[in-house]
Amino acid sequence: MTSWRRRFAFIVVLLAGIAVLLGTPGPARAAEPKVRVELLSEVASIVPGETFWLALRQEIAPGWHTYWMNPGDSGEPPRIEWSLPKGFTAGDFVWPPPERIAVGPAMTYGYSNGVVLPVAVTAPRDLVPGTRLALRGQASWIVCEKICIPEEAPLALTLPVGAGPAQLDAASAPLIAAARRSVPAPSPWPASFTATSDTVTLTVAARGLAADRVAEVWFYPARWGAIEQAAPQRVSISPDAVTLAVARGPLPEAVSAPIDGVLVVAERLDASVSRQAFTVRAEPRALDGGANALSILRALVLALAGGVVLNLMPCVLPVLSMKAFGLVQHASERPAALRLHGITYTAGVLASFAVVAGVLLALRAGGEQLGWGFQLQSPVFVTLLALVLFAVALSLSGVIVIGSRWSGAGQALASRAGYAGSFFTGALATVAATPCTAPFMGVAVGYAVTQPWLTALLVFEALGLGLALPFLLLTLAPAWRRLLPAPGPWMTRVQQLLAFPLYASVAWLVWVVSQQAGSPGVAAALAGLVLIAFAAWLHGLVRDSARLKRRVTSVIALALVVAAVALGAIASPGSAARTAGSAATKSDGWEPFSPARLAQLRAAGTPVFVNITAAWCLTCLVNERVALRTPAVEDVFARKGVVMLKADWTRRDPVITQVLGTFGRNGVPLYLLYPAGGATREPAVLPQILSERILIDATKEVL
Amino acid sequence: MIELALTRRTFLAGTSLAVIAQRLVSGTSAWAAPGAKVGTTAPVFTIDATTGKHVSLADYKGQLVVLEWTNHDCPYVRKHYDSGNMQALQKEATGQGVVWLTLISSSPGTQGFVTAGQADELTTTRKASPTAVLLDPTGAVGKMYGATNTPHMYVVDKAGLLVYAGAIDDRPTTRRSDVQGAQNYVREALQAVSAGQPVKTPVTRAYGCTVKYS
Repeated sequence: MTSWRRRFAFIVVLLAGIAVLLGTPGPARAAEPKVRVELLSEVASIVPGETFWLALRQEIAPGWHTYWMNPGDSGEPPRIEWSLPKGFTAGDFVWPPPERIAVGPAMTYGYSNGVVLPVAVTAPRDLVPGTRLALRGQASWIVCEKICIPEEAPLALTLPVGAGPAQLDAASAPLIAAARRSVPAPSPWPASFTATSDTVTLTVAARGLAADRVAEVWFYPARWGAIEQAAPQRVSISPDAVTLAVARGPLPEAVSAPIDGVLVVAERLDASVSRQAFTVRAEPRALDGGANALSILRALVLALAGGVVLNLMPCVLPVLSMKAFGLVQHASERPAALRLHGITYTAGVLASFAVVAGVLLALRAGGEQLGWGFQLQSPVFVTLLALVLFAVALSLSGVIVIGSRWSGAGQALASRAGYAGSFFTGALATVAATPCTAPFMGVAVGYAVTQPWLTALLVFEALGLGLALPFLLLTLAPAWRRLLPAPGPWMTRVQQLLAFPLYASVAWLVWVVSQQAGSPGVAAALAGLVLIAFAAWLHGLVRDSARLKRRVTSVIALALVVAAVALGAIASPGSAARTAGSAATKSDGWEPFSPARLAQLRAAGTPVFVNITAAWCLTCLVNERVALRTPAVEDVFARKGVVMLKADWTRRDPVITQVLGTFGRNGVPLYLLYPAGGATREPAVLPQILSERILIDATKEVL
Repeated sequence: MIELALTRRTFLAGTSLAVIAQRLVSGTSAWAAPGAKVGTTAPVFTIDATTGKHVSLADYKGQLVVLEWTNHDCPYVRKHYDSGNMQALQKEATGQGVVWLTLISSSPGTQGFVTAGQADELTTTRKASPTAVLLDPTGAVGKMYGATNTPHMYVVDKAGLLVYAGAIDDRPTTRRSDVQGAQNYVREALQAVSAGQPVKTPVTRAYGCTVKYS
């Protein structure tokens, strides 16, 4: 073998040996820690008795990660065992929002690259300025890539005790401040969840999130077990809430307690994505409990039932009676004609509901905070409604027979004007129904306005269909008409009698105007009523006169009506008495509601009853009369120290509308009973129809 | 002309439509939670033991079975083996007639993957006493049970029902000293089932290293 050959062989062997050595992983190589840690201090000196921030800073090797407070399906959060000088106390870490790290079928939550975990530390009062103190601790953590390595390191920091105000540490303070800024803030929105055997549905009543701007939403549970952490979270965003549906976790008892966690919402901005993190405590809620848990089907059924009940409301019943009497009179007429009447009436109701819903949704889309009955927040509308109902009442009293056709009584139902009349009656019934809230309705409407417009419209139309249904069925099913009583003179009496609920409604509406627009508004409304009465008299006077005379008088009567309406319109929205409402509420034990006052009372642990009401809400007024202002209830409230707050929604009030929205509602009344104790305790939502018993039992239950 | 007649048939059709609509609206998750559910029948598997024999869970019907997912290099596993905690539990259980199956789901080339010979050697050197060590390099059995960690522990009762799934104890750390005084969920489950009582803590969060699936 030549020497160069020998040399070559030697080099090959050498290189191979080096390669083998380099390529062999093993304990021979010194273990380089995957995480470098450092103890940071926000302050350059300690002030006796003050709380300051320290932080554990982790710099993590690329590809590796450490863990969040809930590490997820694997891993472990870092910890510090402190050896602080006597009298010092350290809190827990506050945690910046984590990242999701999926590992096979498992999901873990943690940090890569690096993280700063702040800890609040309180110094004792008896420190001597000028001395230097060593703050020590032992940090331990687990760091994982594919494999996991437990690591630990001693921490130490020496700080002087200062006499004056603390000086910030120029290098560390900004790091800690940034970390604390990124720590999730308490969510301003209430949250709740429902659980089925396989799904947990979380609803956060976050308003104003635009679905097309939201890049991502993820809920990080604070504890393991309630939800499958690796499962996809199906997110839906409406203007009023974010809903996440996720597979239920393996821990059965986890869904009977509130689910805490962090909701991270990534919002697309023009050129970047902004991540907001909120702490969320979702309260468990029975599946059929509230509006947000409603399926569309349930909402539709509730709306339909609410619509049917609306027929019995004092403002609607008289209007309908005219229709019903027409039916009794003509029960024997051609079924086809009757059916057509039923259908046009229904069309009238549905069209009016579509208009109401359309306006409501359009205004809401424009950012207005409105709800059912919103039109009644306008004194102009209330005045107009009073005028219309007054005219109808006069007609029922027999003072006038408006057109003598659309009311149907005594006229050929089959005439074309009769069909228009049926349609108009439908519209009138809808208008007359707006001040009334029937049972079931509140929940359905509250649900509707949180939904996309098509769903919302469907719910409103279901409500309308419910309103139209009794009459529609009577006209459609000939057999049922046999149940109607025989026509006779009794009908005139009943009709006249039914005028009185309408007069009462008018009186009440005028009172509502007095609340909204003060005495000028009332004056205008009353003058309008006089004009309507005069026009009605004129109309009746010339009914049987010559055609020309009739025409002229009709024009005059019409002019009077227009004048009346104009008066109503002038009745200055919001001129006088703007403050009358809130000033008046301070009396009789009720304090005016404001979120600040509520928060203040809650913080003090005081039990609070919140009554969200409006002057134009009949149900509300009845509840106050029969339940809220009874000696028994007042006595219980007084003994338990319940502070009574009244939120008056008579006029438009975005703050109150928002409160309603957070409880899935969109109309009044809403009654909330906040228990004594911690500010985090959720209120009991009482039924919309109250009784003494309900109030007293509820009070005893939560206090 | 529309004639509204609520017959039984239209009513039924209506309700079934309603049911379908509800299904559509509420929607069911396409994502199935992986793994075995406590309170249901434990999934039956058949795989190779280190002895080369096929072992099936069905072979042990009528006996209590413990399943232990392991990875000998995982620091959490080492905590329980280096302290002798796992071996003590194995001895105690098998001494009472409990079947103890140790499963290794690390895929080839990942941490914890061993050949049959290496696995038996580990059993000898660590003085472990499982009934059998089962090799699951494809991860099929691990995924069937939803094992996410090493150690990850399961208890199957004599009727084949899964009665416990989760951690070995309540101290999710790698510190050996934490073994002392920890609440051992597996021991509790075995004692409860032997006494004919329900398991008090049937589900816990397993802690450890992730299972090294491929």
